[in-house]
Amino acid sequence: MSQYAMIIDLEKCVGCHACAVSCRAEWEVPVGKDSEDRERHRNWVKRLGPAKTPHGMSYTYYPGLCNHCDEPSCVEACPYDVESRTFVDQQTGKKVTMDVAATWKDPFNGTVQINKEGCWGCGACADACPYSVRYVNEELDEPKADKCTFCVERLAVGKQPACVQTCLAGARIFGDLSDPDSEVSKYVKKGAVGLESSAVKIGPNVRYFGNARDMSLLTSTCTPLTMPVADVNMRRLLMGRLAKSTFKGVKNFALLGMAGSLLISDTESEKQD
Amino acid sequence: MTVKLTRRKFLQSATCAAAAVPMARMAQAEQPFVRQPYAAPGSFAGTKSVCGGVCEMCFWRCQLIGKVRDGKLVKLEGNPKSIDNGASLCARGNAGVKLLYDPDRLKYPMKNIGKRGAPVWKRISWQEALDECASRLKAIVDKYEPQGLAIFPHGASAKYPMNFFEHVVGTPNNSEASFFQCRGSRDVAYIQTLGTPAGEEVDMPNAKVIFMLGTHLGENVHVSHLKKYLKGLENGAKLIVVDPRFSASAAKADIWVQIKPGTDTAFLLAIMNYLVQQKKYDMEYVEDFGYGFEEFTVGIEHASLEWAANICDIPAKQIKEVADMLADNAPNVSIHPGRHSSWNGNDFQRERSLACLTGLLGAIGVKGGFVKPKNPKVGRCSWPKVAHPHEHALQHLAEKYPFSPPGTPTDLIRETALTGKPYAIKGLIVWGQNPIQTIPDPALTVKMIEQMDFVVVCDVMPTDITMYADILLPESCYLERYDYVKKGTQWDYSQPHQQYISARVPMVSPTAADHERKDSVWIVNELARRMGYEEHIPAKSAEEMVETILAGADLSLAQLAAEEGIHIQPGVDPYGTQYDVDFNNRKLIDAGFPGVPTYIPVPEPPKGFARLVYGRLPVHSFNRSQNNVWLHQEMPRNPIWINDEVASRLGLNDGDEINLVNQSGVKSPSSSILKVTAGIRKDVIYTAHGYGSKNPQMHVAAGAGLDDNSLITQRAVDPETGTHGMRNNFVRIVKGDTVLDIPG
Repeated sequence: MSQYAMIIDLEKCVGCHACAVSCRAEWEVPVGKDSEDRERHRNWVKRLGPAKTPHGMSYTYYPGLCNHCDEPSCVEACPYDVESRTFVDQQTGKKVTMDVAATWKDPFNGTVQINKEGCWGCGACADACPYSVRYVNEELDEPKADKCTFCVERLAVGKQPACVQTCLAGARIFGDLSDPDSEVSKYVKKGAVGLESSAVKIGPNVRYFGNARDMSLLTSTCTPLTMPVADVNMRRLLMGRLAKSTFKGVKNFALLGMAGSLLISDTESEKQD
Repeated sequence: MTVKLTRRKFLQSATCAAAAVPMARMAQAEQPFVRQPYAAPGSFAGTKSVCGGVCEMCFWRCQLIGKVRDGKLVKLEGNPKSIDNGASLCARGNAGVKLLYDPDRLKYPMKNIGKRGAPVWKRISWQEALDECASRLKAIVDKYEPQGLAIFPHGASAKYPMNFFEHVVGTPNNSEASFFQCRGSRDVAYIQTLGTPAGEEVDMPNAKVIFMLGTHLGENVHVSHLKKYLKGLENGAKLIVVDPRFSASAAKADIWVQIKPGTDTAFLLAIMNYLVQQKKYDMEYVEDFGYGFEEFTVGIEHASLEWAANICDIPAKQIKEVADMLADNAPNVSIHPGRHSSWNGNDFQRERSLACLTGLLGAIGVKGGFVKPKNPKVGRCSWPKVAHPHEHALQHLAEKYPFSPPGTPTDLIRETALTGKPYAIKGLIVWGQNPIQTIPDPALTVKMIEQMDFVVVCDVMPTDITMYADILLPESCYLERYDYVKKGTQWDYSQPHQQYISARVPMVSPTAADHERKDSVWIVNELARRMGYEEHIPAKSAEEMVETILAGADLSLAQLAAEEGIHIQPGVDPYGTQYDVDFNNRKLIDAGFPGVPTYIPVPEPPKGFARLVYGRLPVHSFNRSQNNVWLHQEMPRNPIWINDEVASRLGLNDGDEINLVNQSGVKSPSSSILKVTAGIRKDVIYTAHGYGSKNPQMHVAAGAGLDDNSLITQRAVDPETGTHGMRNNFVRIVKGDTVLDIPG
């Protein structure tokens, strides 16, 4: 199995934000927030410092995107009904059928993907991500979770990920960690690391490389220190389930009533606010 | 029966159903319906690639391809054929789509039936707009002579109107922001020293040392320029950055010189004096190409390391360290000329010093040094020079600013307009420039505008200046028009020599049902016809203008289209061109200025104030891009940098909402957020220039961030060039209702 990965070389990065904007253009990501503290983005640049570190002054950047983790907590959190899905290895044509919910880790390339047809937009996956890489896109006809796909759709037609292509600094290196001779593997050997803490160890596959002061500022300010508890939006979850059952023909009237009453109580509490 | 219904809409009705239990509707919902699953398809899906775009989100002009779906531009990318930017674009280039479709864009010609500054807009036809512009401008020319007009242009599309008003109508009163508020003093200083304008033409990819004074690459982004810089660093160049702030470049530097602002010339003189005294300069180059070297050495001999260390507030040994690093690696050193040089009103002397240092190190025409590309030749298409307005040029009449860049120093235009002496200036044409957020002392600019008989503004966006127009004209943007022919060479001169020529062509149709925008060639031709200058029209259309320019290179638009938007041909080795160095410039002496580069002290901050210094953010071209939603999203406001120890003494915290008030009691109309950092001097407050638009028609930009230009009310003017110095203003912090003194 391959494991697609990305290296961010902070020695090269100049913090120009082209990656973030190109991603917004490529995938029509709306601006703003989907909730009080969650940005709508698939790809971002956070400017860090200038600040003192034990290794000297640093002014660097946190270019972030989905880590396509080895053990993705978002996949665990998805409440969607499990269904069989067949995956095809792009290189060998080999097929595997697995039971997955509406988001999964691809058995062949290691990327984490979303079933946009199914996804209920309940936001459980976004809540479960310690890196806040997901958001719920409510601009669409139906709310959908969205996140970086490593541009596998572009890869499939022979293009680089949008952020990699536009990077003027060559600071983003995309490749396969299962290939020891790949550029990304070489960077990992040179010391590129993911943002992991003792509480958050789920194997991020975006790795950062830089000098001691920049890495010190990055890791001390941007490493998640706690695993979030997926606070599933009950209303939306129930709505999603309801809708799904409705699509098959309305069966569960009790659920329908529950959803309605939840919504009414929500609306009332909003009015009180 | 198939019901087209989204799930969200269904759920809304389902909620009603659940609340009121109307079983009939539930039954309806059991009908089978078509779902509309959605995911963005990606820019490559179902799109056609359109070649031949040339970016103008800034003025570096990267070459583009556009991805167009159903006649709508969905994405911009670098043209993979480009030997300049390649497939890369910066954040602004990527965001061009959002300028094209910005709902706030100017759509129709408008007439202001309210007041200047508090406009009430009435939509009018082009016919009416052009008739009125022509008759009003003509009336001013008839009454006050052509010099009764002034033009404030900016950008590629402004060149055609600028040349019309200057060369045909005949006014010398042309204030180009790119000269008088930006890089004019730099290029004139290099002309007076090396005989050629500087550009940013240093061969960074092949340098052993890159030396930058205030230049903050990374925060200041031009794609191929950044590529040159990064290639140099990758190839092992040492980086010296002189800046009061720990800039994006300082963060990559081997030596960061945290200089006191305004004192740079003292620093440069001390380096040069040290090199001369220690005989560490390039004696052969100076012998062969230097003029006035004796006088130069005498003129700078006072500039000891200690003298400069004291003035610049940096250690003498650091100046020596910089000088030694340059000498040890000469001549393969890039002494970066900078770009925006309108700092303190002593800028010509600083830029002269940079040019002299370049010559002293022999860093000219050699690897890593000052090397100008050998660009391809193209044709010309412009208005003939039938008028000769220069006898009315204010700098000549006033016998001031003998080394002015082309045009007329802005302050002479403003003062003349306000006093009526030596003549009246009663008509104003603003094309693509936003003087309110460009020119120091905006209140004075407004006074100048108020006394005009007529003001016409042409722009793409409703910038602040548009509020002062009598007639407001909407222009096509750079993605919908023909205009600029971009040419150049490969940026790394160690690579095979190539030249390129590309022309800006429309990527999408310039016409649509919901607007009546026109390009500047059409607009100006229509004005020219109405004003009686039809015989001089050089091109019937923007397309014809571009064809004429291309014909000079035996090219055509059709040929360029066949070559994916960019013509590439063999180039010429740019190394080996050497320039004479005027260490002691006779022309300067004759005009009453020091012939040898001289440090002129600048005003100090009064007690309780810090100097306001501004710069760039990579996501904006100053004010021009402020209303772009994608760019706004990246940095909604401009953080105000303050030293951490100062902040702690004032009880301020990172993220505090603050404003600034200057030495004259002027406060920015809108506030911003505080950034507390160890990476700035205690006597400096810094922010990004161009935020804080005031026009409520800019729905994204209005009131977003602090308008630093509103605080730049104390004018400084370079005595040699008449260009503005914009960093001699001093500020205190306002938090809530409290004004806080900056501790000394």
